[in-house]
Amino acid sequence: MAKNLSGDLLVASANRLTDGVVVFLDDAGEWTKRLDRAAVARDKRAGEILLERAKAEAFTVVDPYLVAVSEGDDGVLEPLSLREKIRVSGLTFEAIAADAVRYA
Amino acid sequence: MRCVMPDTHFYRPNFYQYDDYDRTLVTERVEQFRDQVRRRLSGELTEEQFKPLRLTNGLYLQLHAYMLRIAIPYGTLSSRQLRKLADIARKYDRGYGHFTTRQNLQLNWIKLEEAPDALAALAEVDMHAMQTSGNVIRNVTADHFAGAAIDEIEDPRIWCEIVRQWSTLHPEFSFLPRKFKIAVTGSPNDRAAVRVHDIGLRLWRNEQGEVGFEVIVGGGLGRTPMIGKTLREFLPKDELLAYLEATLRVYNRYGRRDNLYKARIKILVHEVGAEKMREEVEAEYADIKGGALKLPAETIEAIARQFAPPALPHRPAVVGAVEALKLEDRDFALWLKSNVSPHRLAGYRIVTASLKPAGAPPGDASSVQMEGVADIADAYSQGEIRVSHEQNLVLPHVAVEDLPAVWLALGRLGFAEANVGKITDIIACPGLDYCALANARSIPVAQSISNHFAALARQHDIGDLKIKISGCINACGHHHVGHIGILGVDKNGVELYQISLGGDVDFGKTALGTILGPAVAADKVVEAVDALVATYLDARSAGERFVDTYRRIGAQPFKDRVYAVV
Amino acid sequence: MPLFREAGIVEDPWQKLDDDAPVPADGMVLVSFARWREARAALLARRGPVGVAFANTDPVEALASDTSRLDLMTLHFPKFSDGRAYSQARLLRERLGYQGELRATGNVLQDQAPFMLRCGFDAFESDQKGFGEALARARTLFSVVYQPTEDGRATASLLRLKRRNAVAS
Repeated sequence: MAKNLSGDLLVASANRLTDGVVVFLDDAGEWTKRLDRAAVARDKRAGEILLERAKAEAFTVVDPYLVAVSEGDDGVLEPLSLREKIRVSGLTFEAIAADAVRYA
Repeated sequence: MRCVMPDTHFYRPNFYQYDDYDRTLVTERVEQFRDQVRRRLSGELTEEQFKPLRLTNGLYLQLHAYMLRIAIPYGTLSSRQLRKLADIARKYDRGYGHFTTRQNLQLNWIKLEEAPDALAALAEVDMHAMQTSGNVIRNVTADHFAGAAIDEIEDPRIWCEIVRQWSTLHPEFSFLPRKFKIAVTGSPNDRAAVRVHDIGLRLWRNEQGEVGFEVIVGGGLGRTPMIGKTLREFLPKDELLAYLEATLRVYNRYGRRDNLYKARIKILVHEVGAEKMREEVEAEYADIKGGALKLPAETIEAIARQFAPPALPHRPAVVGAVEALKLEDRDFALWLKSNVSPHRLAGYRIVTASLKPAGAPPGDASSVQMEGVADIADAYSQGEIRVSHEQNLVLPHVAVEDLPAVWLALGRLGFAEANVGKITDIIACPGLDYCALANARSIPVAQSISNHFAALARQHDIGDLKIKISGCINACGHHHVGHIGILGVDKNGVELYQISLGGDVDFGKTALGTILGPAVAADKVVEAVDALVATYLDARSAGERFVDTYRRIGAQPFKDRVYAVV
Repeated sequence: MPLFREAGIVEDPWQKLDDDAPVPADGMVLVSFARWREARAALLARRGPVGVAFANTDPVEALASDTSRLDLMTLHFPKFSDGRAYSQARLLRERLGYQGELRATGNVLQDQAPFMLRCGFDAFESDQKGFGEALARARTLFSVVYQPTEDGRATASLLRLKRRNAVAS
């Protein structure tokens, strides 16, 4: 759960049921892997509504919740917390490659 | 890339082999789970109803994907099984896996819809992911040198297998207040950390020459680390299951269910006292013992036989070529010192394959590397591999003569770094990179420490030093029992690392570390560790390990030095 | 709430009595454990079967001397994940020798039915869709069991012993 929900922009996120992939609710009420397509709530009330919508669409996902994001000057959304940043962008180190004989 | 190996014999594995009963049960569980997944995907089952069902098949939902925790009972694998794990990692995951502190294997990118197929593939080699998660009795761990160590009284894995069967799909104990972890040691030098488990079992021989169990209860790490108390000094072996049933029944009935963080048996023992706990268990045991759970001698023997040590051909204890190489090649000499341990037979050694190459995520292996280790096991270690709870792999029966070849073969895989037990043999949980429970990352911290101290000669000079890193209070990295423990915390969205000193779980000595001072920033951890090492090197007496010096001089000198630089 | 036995859905002939309601002279009456404790003599003196409903924290051992006098005991699962009633069930069946109807109430779901059956439950109150069909299959979901319970199924361990001895002879 995001800790600071006051005054932040909010998106709804979950893990996809079939494969656990991180997804966001878009304006059409569908789940997308792309954060830049996420529906953005611009205040707390809008956030509550967004979460309700996400829960209504939760058939194909697990446990939707709100994530606080910031919007850059270029309009690019980025999660505020490190945890959510990692959720979106993946491991912060290079994992062993599948065919690695040795670690790179 | 396959190594050129001498004639490979196909060994009958020297540990418990499934019969048709075991196989049927695993297969039926897979089919039950397949149906449960179908009903979840169709919406018939809610997530709340489904969660315990998937957890008891080892399936966690992590940050990016589902993680499958595959059981490796008593950390013992045949080469065939290890190859299958490599195959499954390749087919159902991203081609690598992580060996854990409970001797299991974790695959981090599993899809729920493919999980039943992955489990079916595991079943083909008599493996499964049953009860590696959830509020059930978990994988029973043992000493990773079992069956090969010179100080062994009896192979603990016999008892791990007996407990494994008794605890699998136990109808009464499938909805415990919380998870339940059991460990068994067959040696006075406890390499299974039995005193920090919910139940620890220590085999020992009494004055009459009988072998029985000391039963230890209520140990554990995590939020409230505790060292277990002795419930029973000496328990006859054939009454083990009756005693466990009594203990689990008391826990199931009286363990707390109101608070997730107070639900382990250690809290129950703490709250009612060891004396009262003993009374309750002994009363229940009095009614159960001698009944259907008493193990017939024949049953014990039939299982024990399967763990009979392999008939290893006599091999020379001293080999000219090995002695020569030791003098010629410094890396080989260091590797012999740190990665090779005595075996009960003079002509053999136990080899640890270090899964901690400099800068690598600790405990990880690619599919190719797993297959490489399987090949080496076939050629040089009776087709058998062990998983240590320090996230390394072990080849338990290597002839002295074969040490150079094994060293070279492991080296080609990157698993011959001479750092076992040394500062870069770090134990780290997956941390915030993978885990939904974490507060901070642990792998990058491990990598930076590992890179900083990579120089082997220096590592050997520093000597035995166990660094253990956890990304949250759940302590899956066992930081409480690290000589240096590092706990990642989150303060206002920033990762900070709390350092503790003086923890230990080896050689019968169990101690919990003491926090040094305020948590340090991520980019200061290496400097802090450097300061700790420098303090030790300056103060040590001859033969003292880091943790010994700490015990002698206390925390202050270390604290002063660390906080002067962070 | 529908009541199931393995053979199928059944009518519930039992009357659940509130703790403060008067005890009827006859009929099948189910009382709470607290009520039983308080009115045991009166309950036994009347015509008609008596049943006791336990909370999952109640000491079932307290009924040790009365198991043959009771025709129904119910054990409760406040949440399906709260497994205390499994222990209560086994104690009632195996330690106290209770042979009457042992009914599971509360959050009773089909995926736990195999465990419940093995612990001695033979009746189930459940409103989960498909429970009845799943219950009919539950006993045969696993053809191999490792642990002995009062259900009398031979464990793998026992079967192995028999097989070894059969081969030997």
